[in-house]
Amino acid sequence: MNQILENEPTLLATPTKNTLPLRLADFSTLAEALDYAAQGETGANFYSGKGELTEVVPYRLLRVQAISLGKRLLSLSLKRGARIAIVAETNAYFLRFFFACQYAGMIPVALPAVINIGGHQAYVEKLRGLLKGCDASVAIASNQFYSFLTEAAEGLGLAFVGTPDAFDALPEQNSELQPSAPNETAYLQFTSGSTGFPRGVVITEQTVMANLAATVAHGISMNENDRCVSWLPFYHDMGLVGCMLALIASQRSIDYLDTREFAMRPRRWLEILTKTKASIAFCPPFGYDLCRRRIRPDDVANYDLSAWRIAGVGAEPIRYEVLDEFAKLLAPAGFDSKAFVPCYGMAETSLALSFSPLGHGVVVDWIDTDALSGELLAKPVEAYQGNSFVRCGTILPEHEVKITDDDDNELAERHIGQIKVRGPSVMSGYFRLTEQTQQVLSADGWLDTGDLGYLVDGNIVVTGRCKDMLIINGRNIWPQDIEHIVERQPELKALGASAFSVTDADNREIAIVVVQCNLSDSEERSLLEQRLHREIFEALGITCVIEFVPRQTIPRTSSGKLSRSATREGYLRRRDNENRIDTAQTSVDGNVTLMSSIN
Amino acid sequence: MTDYQQIIPVLYTELAAITKATVAIDENTELTGDLKLDSLQMMELLLIIEDHFDISVPVNVLSDVKTIKDFALQIENLIRCE
Repeated sequence: MNQILENEPTLLATPTKNTLPLRLADFSTLAEALDYAAQGETGANFYSGKGELTEVVPYRLLRVQAISLGKRLLSLSLKRGARIAIVAETNAYFLRFFFACQYAGMIPVALPAVINIGGHQAYVEKLRGLLKGCDASVAIASNQFYSFLTEAAEGLGLAFVGTPDAFDALPEQNSELQPSAPNETAYLQFTSGSTGFPRGVVITEQTVMANLAATVAHGISMNENDRCVSWLPFYHDMGLVGCMLALIASQRSIDYLDTREFAMRPRRWLEILTKTKASIAFCPPFGYDLCRRRIRPDDVANYDLSAWRIAGVGAEPIRYEVLDEFAKLLAPAGFDSKAFVPCYGMAETSLALSFSPLGHGVVVDWIDTDALSGELLAKPVEAYQGNSFVRCGTILPEHEVKITDDDDNELAERHIGQIKVRGPSVMSGYFRLTEQTQQVLSADGWLDTGDLGYLVDGNIVVTGRCKDMLIINGRNIWPQDIEHIVERQPELKALGASAFSVTDADNREIAIVVVQCNLSDSEERSLLEQRLHREIFEALGITCVIEFVPRQTIPRTSSGKLSRSATREGYLRRRDNENRIDTAQTSVDGNVTLMSSIN
Repeated sequence: MTDYQQIIPVLYTELAAITKATVAIDENTELTGDLKLDSLQMMELLLIIEDHFDISVPVNVLSDVKTIKDFALQIENLIRCE
């Protein structure tokens, strides 16, 4: 018998060219967008860590599967608008469940699918907080994550918790599906909230469609030859909205690589871009940095990146040096540095707010350092003379941006203040958190982004954050979460800690926690330090410089709370002093530990 | 068949390289508590282990790994299952 004939047919990725006329996200709902895309030939393709194509889901098939699954969801007799929580691994079932919710009038919520080493308990607690935070009725995870999910859901009274197979075994309800209407919620997106207090951003169908239409028509000028490669997770706004919904709403094919596989082998991303001749890929600066550090110069000849016309950059502060080096390394593979498109946005505005003009690459603003810190003024200086910031383009049509001082007075161009935005992409609010919504969203629709920056020729330039969030290797970390881990240690109860970030010698953001501690025994202290490192990693996936200081070292604000900004200043002062005393103490990666200050 | 006793020296060598041999290592050394590996160094280690032993390490099997010993036992188990 001929063995070859028995082999399964080789998988073929969906084509780049479609048979359908291109429509630029001019639909009133996501379900309508998929209805249209399903008439064509394009779809989503999933690649393994070995770079092999493992699953192909044409949008035509996705629609059929999503409708069938939507009818099965109805058999659970859920209320319209019930939250369906999905542990969002990068595979096809996420798309099926997401769109099943669209067709059945339910609200999908993507949950993170990342467990840090040793982080079993921390992950379960995180999932539990998110399930509670969105008041989920149903939760889904693959076999890989199912046991964690059931642990997290215990006692929460969910109507159904299962693997995708368990949902496929439910009976299809025989009634007509009523897809989510334009004024109904399209999805909840957990964002940048601390683990203790997760915040779900509520985005309606008309909100996300407004953002998608402005993004694909104006921001990236999507055309018939476009195709996207993404390794961004679906539980992040850039992965969900930018690298899934935007492509489906403009009927383009997508090639997916798992986030963890990218982090392990970044070259796979470039290999897939080469193989599929994709023209669009977005990622945070951290991703370009990882490629720059890990791609071997010998490998560059294997890539052909000449079709890559939009290399989007966003989601964390952009350092032009990293992008420069990435472009230099990959220029022999046909990568054009003019393909870089710095952009600005956040989950609270669906995703994007601004894109820098296509085909111009990175435009750097050089700013006088003294005027920046003293007068809060972005005074231009010669290149390489002061601080550098990247221009993120002008705000999308039908949206407004303003820079204000602390009293909400609007500031002129080049004056640094709070960045506020308004327009059809802005969220309805945080799910069931009225007070927190009011803190960021004014009655007349202005969203306080929490970022600091200025405008120049209408371009948004982000210079920092007034919120306390840390961004470490692309992860948003809230200082409260670090402080909570420190303060729950039995030796430290009620002594207080203060977490913040500083930049290291390479201008990279690193996390610091200053810990008030009474232990004088150095062995006890080193055991405590070890435990803190472990627990911080397990919960947050980062390493953190830990500085022990005597009690009552951390300054307080006028209202009596520990002041992170004053603690940070004190820390930097001590670091400078120590550097002066002995510059050799700085370790190779630029981290400085200040264990001496307790004595 | 690669067993625990063969895995341990590989882990010692690779971890010494990643941490630049700044910390003394034994079986009970904690990967994050003692060695302070960050997520990128962890990825580097996983990559080396996957390539060296020709296995794929699923994300869920590391959730209860604290020490080098825990890690080696998981690797041994994965090699057996391949």
